[in-house]
Amino acid sequence: MLALKIMAVLLISVSVGILYRIPRRLLIYVSFVGVVAWLIMYNTMRLGGSGILADFLASVAVGIMSEILARVLKKPATIFIIPGFIPLVPGGDAYMTMLYMVEGHYVDGVAKGMQTILTAGAIAFGIFVSSTIFQLIKNYNLESRWQDVRKS
Amino acid sequence: MAISLEQMVSLAGIAGEVMLKNGAETYRIEATMDHMAKACGASKVESFVIPTGVFLTVTDEVGRTLTVMRRVRNRTINLDRISKVNELSRRLVAQRIEYEDAKRILEGISKERTGFSLLPSMLASGAIGGGTAVLQNALFFEIAAAFTAAMIVRYIAHLVSKLRGVQFTFEFLGGMAVALCGVLLHSLWPHLRPDAVIIGGIMPLVPGVAITNAIRDVIAGDLLSGLSRGLEAALTSVAVAMGVVIVLSFKV
Repeated sequence: MLALKIMAVLLISVSVGILYRIPRRLLIYVSFVGVVAWLIMYNTMRLGGSGILADFLASVAVGIMSEILARVLKKPATIFIIPGFIPLVPGGDAYMTMLYMVEGHYVDGVAKGMQTILTAGAIAFGIFVSSTIFQLIKNYNLESRWQDVRKS
Repeated sequence: MAISLEQMVSLAGIAGEVMLKNGAETYRIEATMDHMAKACGASKVESFVIPTGVFLTVTDEVGRTLTVMRRVRNRTINLDRISKVNELSRRLVAQRIEYEDAKRILEGISKERTGFSLLPSMLASGAIGGGTAVLQNALFFEIAAAFTAAMIVRYIAHLVSKLRGVQFTFEFLGGMAVALCGVLLHSLWPHLRPDAVIIGGIMPLVPGVAITNAIRDVIAGDLLSGLSRGLEAALTSVAVAMGVVIVLSFKV
């Protein structure tokens, strides 16, 4: 069952890559990012972590892998981020929210909607955190290089 | 060979326009235009990009200044073109390419048809839907229905872009079509649930580029672009949800 799900995640990442027209030879890297991120999310949930924590850790991983791949392959990081995080999107929660709202269970609907928004926020902030870390590393390197120039 | 001010401005302007049209982040467009104009010999470059337009001011060594503005109306998503313009700008900065070649390649990039035609993108969209249904532990026929629903979504996208529909039309109609597929399946074969079909079907409608660009624009300090792209992502999600909700409330 797990193998089937990993295949599904692989398929999703590659298909998102095709849909957003990323360069074809990068599809393999993209599918790798997607599968690793999804496995992190799956295992965090299996070990008892909440959906929010799981999505946050997974999207930090997406961000870090994307920034590294972007620097190694000299391509925009966006190419790797988008297919990486699509399998993490809380589609099930969003659907349950809509269903509760339609059926008139507004309390359940608002609770589920809040959970959906927080999970989506966790994904966004995971990418935010990893991109910020890379920005800081880059600035640190620039700073030290500048100081070297000043010394010499 | 000296490159005239007009040529610098037009090269950098086209590059910025192509990148904005295909969904690049704001800071990347600004940096690319700066690099390209400087590589052609400009002494000072100022650029300003918002999601609906590109502004560029270039000063050459003599001290003459020229400003252009390019308005961008219809935006699509094509990360391949962004990566190609990126590559071109790197080559230009490294002086590995002449101005005329750069200009010709850039015009080629903006005109060429890249990516896949309708059927492969429909299949890709279907695969996203089917894959998501698998992750929801759906039954075989539900997965097949999710695949079909997501394919229909892509076909609607094709129709709407052909008819130049306003923004959010496609997302709204897509959400409705997906929910209709789910409800129809459930009413024909009551033992099949519509849940996985709808969850899978709305996955290709997730505004991935808008979300990513909103985050990255805010990090880079482009608050104006970040906010408007964040709003675009939020409104897209609301349009999808309303499409689904309206169909579901017919059923109840």
